[in-house]
Amino acid sequence: MKVLVVDDFATMRKIIKNVLKQINIENVVEAENGRHALDVLRKEEIDLIISDWIMPEMTGIDFLKACKSDDAIKNIPFLMVTAEAQKDCILEAIKSGVDNYIVKPFTPEKLQGAIDKARARIGK
Amino acid sequence: MDVKYINPFIVATQTVFRTMLGINVEIMKPVLKNVNTTSGDVTGIMGLVGDQKGTIAISLRKKGAIFVFKTLIGDECEDVTHEVVDAIGELTNIISGQARKEFEKAGINLKASIPIVVVGKDVEMNFITKIPIVCLPFQFNLVNGNGAEKELFFLDFSFE
Repeated sequence: MKVLVVDDFATMRKIIKNVLKQINIENVVEAENGRHALDVLRKEEIDLIISDWIMPEMTGIDFLKACKSDDAIKNIPFLMVTAEAQKDCILEAIKSGVDNYIVKPFTPEKLQGAIDKARARIGK
Repeated sequence: MDVKYINPFIVATQTVFRTMLGINVEIMKPVLKNVNTTSGDVTGIMGLVGDQKGTIAISLRKKGAIFVFKTLIGDECEDVTHEVVDAIGELTNIISGQARKEFEKAGINLKASIPIVVVGKDVEMNFITKIPIVCLPFQFNLVNGNGAEKELFFLDFSFE
């Protein structure tokens, strides 16, 4: 499985990659914002998107909306990783078509569960 | 200071350290600070607005900040690099998010700014609100090549 990790903080991308490694996912590509991530999605075959919420240039929510309105990529499971645990934020992500979300902090087991649910939602 | 403003920060800090770092942190006796300067060497600061307004600051000593970075990322590191600074910023962001979730349970809705990180001891901070500032000291076991030692870090906040 090839995973695209989108976060403006290189350190957070590293943390997510470390957690993914612990659940045996090592094929990871990175992008630092939604716009860069869309470029990656046009060039590479991606099986799962893990995206932060708050990013410059294109936020996670705008990136999510762009993905879900594009027939070529809308069926890639989209997992939102965020520190925003508040209900209105989560509702906004759900309304925008997110396949699952995970609130930081998370364990490898919790991330695995969130990935499984996101993939199941899209039938993958 | 009402205990309902203190507990969310304690729960959030302990949850984040346990979940992301596998570290149990112990809360020490809260103290009131009459100065608005950083308590440690690397400090993540976030403004909070909404039903209340205020500021929180997570402040680690150099040794603690490097240990947190190494545990979180898995890379070796001997000094406070920009990566250590980023990691403390992210830690502050996650603790703030978790604390806001706890506040929401108590019916207090808050929104946060983007964290900033300052490096240096006794750096002056703008807490928006008036002093005194509540300082929550935490302690954890810092395990390194020389065995285990107790390390302190601080969560300072002011609310009104």
